[in-house]
Amino acid sequence: MRKLILSAVALAAAGIAGVGVVVAWPIKNPVDAIEMTGDAQRGAYLARAGRCIACHTNWDGGGKPLAGGAPLVTAFGTFYPPNMTTSKGAGIGNWTAEQFAAALRQGVSPEGNPYYPAFPYPFYANLSDQDIADLWAAFQTVPAVDEPAPANDVSFPYDQRWGLKLWRAAYMFPPSTRPVEGKSDEWNRGRQLVEGVTHCAACHTGRNFAGGRKLEEKFRGFDGLPGGGRSPAITPEALREGGWSVSDLAYALKTGIMPDGDAFGGSMGEVVTYGTSFMSDADREAMAIYLLNEDETQ
Amino acid sequence: MKLKTILAAAAASSIAMGALAHSGATGIVLERMQAMSAMSEAVKKVTPIMRGEADYDADTVRAAAQTFEEHSGTAMTELFPRDNANEKSYAKPAIWEDWEEFERLAVRLETLSQGLAQAADNGLSADEAQADTGAMMGGDASAMMGGDTSAMMGGTSSEVSMEELAQMPADDVFAEISQSCSSCHTRFRAERD
Repeated sequence: MRKLILSAVALAAAGIAGVGVVVAWPIKNPVDAIEMTGDAQRGAYLARAGRCIACHTNWDGGGKPLAGGAPLVTAFGTFYPPNMTTSKGAGIGNWTAEQFAAALRQGVSPEGNPYYPAFPYPFYANLSDQDIADLWAAFQTVPAVDEPAPANDVSFPYDQRWGLKLWRAAYMFPPSTRPVEGKSDEWNRGRQLVEGVTHCAACHTGRNFAGGRKLEEKFRGFDGLPGGGRSPAITPEALREGGWSVSDLAYALKTGIMPDGDAFGGSMGEVVTYGTSFMSDADREAMAIYLLNEDETQ
Repeated sequence: MKLKTILAAAAASSIAMGALAHSGATGIVLERMQAMSAMSEAVKKVTPIMRGEADYDADTVRAAAQTFEEHSGTAMTELFPRDNANEKSYAKPAIWEDWEEFERLAVRLETLSQGLAQAADNGLSADEAQADTGAMMGGDASAMMGGDTSAMMGGTSSEVSMEELAQMPADDVFAEISQSCSSCHTRFRAERD
């Protein structure tokens, strides 16, 4: 009995020490200085494609651009997309370009804390320094709104931010945005967009109990989106079965019109309205080519 | 070929009608579904034209514009009486909670439909000119990150007037219409099972 108590105590001590190690575990990697000049126009394009503007603006609530988004209600709690305006107190007005880079590519705040994966930073990991500089330049043009977004309302144990370090170790996969040799430029451009900045898989891939994406279910759709929404499967097979061609898909990303004459609703409606409708025809077609895996050079 | 198209269209609409009947909807909910179906049929007819995949035909575009107009504005809002809020349908309660916005979108569709009818003779845009970058980030001055003119960084671009619509390429007006369908569905239509 005494032995049992001792081992329980030892286990608890080891547990506490383990947690201590995780809490102290530094997660931020060094960021090289972002020195190039950013192109705000190009940055705004990326901010549209990446849904920064869609998610960090409360459109239905009449909020100002990027002043904080509509709450995301999830099984883990309610997340409030923060104020990303140039406000020094409430937004990111005091940030440096390097802090901005670490937030986007690594999911780590200027204080060194990990962000919740409601922020799809794993998809932004391969953004280039030029991409970051462009985005940074674009965000500098956003008028300041001095009201901070509400704090996230997350219940125990998900409110323990150190737990996110374990989450990162288990579920943070680098995006497969790198070009594949032998594929067309369009296919590779589509891959870069779909797997990276436009982060289609964030909603169209199932997630496990911890909110980690189930890689084996990639693009097979998901029933548990924030707010109770559902996303359909978008594998090449599923899309073809649903009657989608490259032209249909590219046009849907522009207008929201589906092959049956219906128009998108739900969160896909927002994706198009605030995101893909601003992209170029060439980029939308590249995304469609990649999603349907139709490569004319093959 | 022509006959084939007609047969296919007949088959498609009978399937659509079948789906409606099958849903068991009656009364005003059925009327609503019929109105939406009529519009989606019109969308299907003009989409190949707007994509530049079928020969441009101004009469087809005008006919679609007329269909949209017939089902927009008060014709649309009258199909959603307040005492109907609890009836089982795809209509979200948000319609009645945010009636002003719903009405605004219905009226907007009416304006856009009239605009499309007037723009029908303009044909398609010469090339895919990109959306005004200024609008990208939603801005005022630079328009890029948060203002009025520029939609890019999130600023809402001011609504295009009827006079401007009449001057626009038909596919650009149609894109505005499809956006209005999508905006309304996003806010006010529940997702299908």
